[in-house]
Amino acid sequence: MQSDQSSAADSNLEIADEVDEAALATVMRTVPLGAAVLAGTVVALLVLGYLLIYTLVFIPRGVVG
Amino acid sequence: MSDTPHELQESRILRTELLWAFGIGIFVAASLSMIVFTALTIKINPPSNVERIDPKTLHLSGEFAEQNLGTTVFGDGTVIVRAIATQFMFVPQCIAVPANRRVTLRFASPDVVHGLLITGTNVNTMVVPGFVAQVHTEFTRTGDLLMPCHEFCGQGHSEMWATVQVLPADQFKPGSDGRVSCAQR
Repeated sequence: MQSDQSSAADSNLEIADEVDEAALATVMRTVPLGAAVLAGTVVALLVLGYLLIYTLVFIPRGVVG
Repeated sequence: MSDTPHELQESRILRTELLWAFGIGIFVAASLSMIVFTALTIKINPPSNVERIDPKTLHLSGEFAEQNLGTTVFGDGTVIVRAIATQFMFVPQCIAVPANRRVTLRFASPDVVHGLLITGTNVNTMVVPGFVAQVHTEFTRTGDLLMPCHEFCGQGHSEMWATVQVLPADQFKPGSDGRVSCAQR
């Protein structure tokens, strides 16, 4: 590349924002909680579905072995 | 010396992961306990019979010869159903079984891999050439149940199905040879 050509890497848009450690710490106190609640809710729904099918469909269909 | 924010973050992540692993561990232990409990109390188990049979000669003699197929009641009251799954039919096409009584179903295949299920019940097995597929069960509702092949076995797979006729005790009458056939309706 010639020296008089600009690079996209020189654009202000491509320069990483400065990280405010205090703000990051604040955000990181709540974000993992949200992720845990979301993941927990999804897994709880799956477990509930499994239990409902097991007890209301599989068991009443009778003995097999 | 106090922990840096980075170290605090790491310890919180570790705590969250341990908590998650604990929750999942409880679920796995609970579901395994349910499986063991139902196996011990109401005898629900995955069919696990391993019994070899020669697929090339099973129709010539022995248990799966034509005259032995269908439902047989033995002297001690044991009910055994024998059927062949072959391209593209079950032999026999209709199987009579008693309601509320333990039944042993035995299947063999002389050609390719088949599978079967009986609608509305937990009966569901593969029928692999070279092995006898055996399932014990008890039918609780009377009536005709569909028994389709559920393993693609060739061009006629969709035409391969049989009927399981669950008869109440007063209609399940074995002949002098112990054989029971489907009632004509």
